[in-house]
Amino acid sequence: MSVRIWGIVGTGQMGRGIAELVASKGFEVVMVGRTPTELEHARQCLDKALQHQIDHWAITDAEKRVILARITFTTDLTKLVEADFVLHAMLAEIEEDKQLFRTLDQICQKDVILASNTSTLSITEMAAATYRSDRVIGCHFVTPYTKTRVVEVVRGLKTANETVAEVMALVQQLDRTGVEVYESTGYVTTRLIVPLINEACAVLMEGVASAEDIDTAMRLGYEMARGPLETADRIGLETVLVMAERLWREYGELKYRPSPILRKLVRAGNVGAESGEGFFKYDPDGHRSKSGGAVR
Amino acid sequence: MKILVLNCGSSSLKYQFLNMETEQVLATGLVQRIGMDDAIFEYKVPGGKEVKEVNSILDHTTAIKRMLAALTSPEYGVISDPSEINAVGHRVVHGGEAFSGSVMVNDEVKQTLRALFDLAPLHNPPNLTGILAAEDAIPGKPQVAVFDTAFHATMPRTSFLYALPYAMYKRHKVRRYGFHGTSHRYVSERAAALIDKPADQLKLITCHLGNGSSVAAVVGGKSVDTSMGFTPLEGLIMGTRSGDLDPGAIFYIMAREELSMSEMNSMLNKHSGMRGVSGISGDMRQIEEEMAKGEPRATETFEMAEYRLRKYIGAYAAAMNGVDAIIFTGGIGENSNLLRGAVCEHLTYLGVELDEGINNTRSKQERLISKPTSKVQVWVIPTNEELVIARDTKELVEQLGK
Repeated sequence: MSVRIWGIVGTGQMGRGIAELVASKGFEVVMVGRTPTELEHARQCLDKALQHQIDHWAITDAEKRVILARITFTTDLTKLVEADFVLHAMLAEIEEDKQLFRTLDQICQKDVILASNTSTLSITEMAAATYRSDRVIGCHFVTPYTKTRVVEVVRGLKTANETVAEVMALVQQLDRTGVEVYESTGYVTTRLIVPLINEACAVLMEGVASAEDIDTAMRLGYEMARGPLETADRIGLETVLVMAERLWREYGELKYRPSPILRKLVRAGNVGAESGEGFFKYDPDGHRSKSGGAVR
Repeated sequence: MKILVLNCGSSSLKYQFLNMETEQVLATGLVQRIGMDDAIFEYKVPGGKEVKEVNSILDHTTAIKRMLAALTSPEYGVISDPSEINAVGHRVVHGGEAFSGSVMVNDEVKQTLRALFDLAPLHNPPNLTGILAAEDAIPGKPQVAVFDTAFHATMPRTSFLYALPYAMYKRHKVRRYGFHGTSHRYVSERAAALIDKPADQLKLITCHLGNGSSVAAVVGGKSVDTSMGFTPLEGLIMGTRSGDLDPGAIFYIMAREELSMSEMNSMLNKHSGMRGVSGISGDMRQIEEEMAKGEPRATETFEMAEYRLRKYIGAYAAAMNGVDAIIFTGGIGENSNLLRGAVCEHLTYLGVELDEGINNTRSKQERLISKPTSKVQVWVIPTNEELVIARDTKELVEQLGK
């Protein structure tokens, strides 16, 4: 089945980033949010993100208008009856997710694939809440969504082979490489990045090196685009904390236990680039502030 | 024989339907925003009915079916049944080294087209989509692919190789291909017919100036050099494309502005050229309007574009050791008397004498705009790529019957 309209549930960083990517590749998007205010905020953020692309010469004014025109914003979940593919892209608890999938199952046309962007919750559990467990799949995009070229395509216990093949093809249409993984908390990307961030936090707390130097060492030492602490800021520390807690709960291994400094920053509301401050400081456009601000 | 000519973009379809006994255009049109609920369908019978509708057209097959419905409409159609279409000719942008002329489409050709996607990622995939959609909508009819690069396949190695490690050519086929071949071919053939000199010795410089622009050096009907290269980015200053520049500048800009490859690519293709330099527009008409008002940046942009074009003409006169005629075509070439005038004014060393009066007279006709005493003739020849595609299609279909 050919996909033309994507339904995206969630207006946070995840939902917006994926909507921007998908719309820029020519798909229509129905974005569902909880309140009009939330949607208006999402629209403004998308506008800003696209303006940022123009400033970087990546797109033209005309292309920006076309991309924005492809996205419709609604609080009405039933609008997803139009969608050819639905992606759930917000951080929630499993009970809420199951409830959402139950509702989506009733709204969406019967052959439509329901996907989740979660990296730590069970696709099988979400699938079990529907009457189409063969058409439920995980589709994990990695931040920054418009740049990262990989998507983890996750099989739940009952996900059909055709569903996997269709999603792999869809991912390819987004110029992304699909990596097939079996359901397992954290898959590949989250399971490997969380311990790295956690260990970077430990190095910071032990006073071995400053945040700046930890990131510089890893960036230059291993040719990473950004160091582990900035990566954490970009993902959002709240999300990192949730991921770490879920990995810890699932595997019971200390290496996943969230670092105290992570908890402290989240409690302080310094949740990363989005909020303007995490391990580092950021200007309203999300650029790293040149001077100071790094956690010591 | 009635032939349908298709030019498919990723979300558009341009078509022309011709009666090849008379080479008369029976109908033309355009479908835009394919894939959307508010796609725009346009259909026109020359001197007759015009249709414009906004409707849901979700793919190219549907677009072709909609066009067939219009062509066979009892009210404004020009045929009574799709079976009256004898063949379909497709414009395909990149033929790589595989295609040096037009070909009948078969499975092998389609396979080769797919293999060429990497060389023209924006254009070839929708071209193939168009071919598949036409096979789907008008089954059993011969389909012909006509390539933008084919006319330049005669370029000698000295003009098409880049001075890069030879492995880049062997491994990745990085070389100059040239584009707008169908247009350069059409106007050079027309010029050969119009100029009273043996065609096999004629030295022509053809300037296709439109949204994208290129110049070609044509000796005895064969392209020996052209300004576009591996991609349509090389050569002249265009609407939004930079044309020639020092590749060293690219790495410097990427480092200074912290740009990715795709951002840099987009800067050179979409934010540069006349648009980038002037900050006003990439449209020559608007540049000329602003220039008339005395806007210095528009004047400078115009002069840069003119200068680059003139340099190429000079270079090709040297490359061919002489030139018999210069031909202007394409939207800008056919309509901008200002640009033609400015170029010719500085080509007196070649013996060019422009007839200002004729140059400044607007016309849609083929016309000689140089004086009878001019050593080099200067022509304006409106291009007609659709006709070339239809003619090639007809020829291949006739060969098929033999």
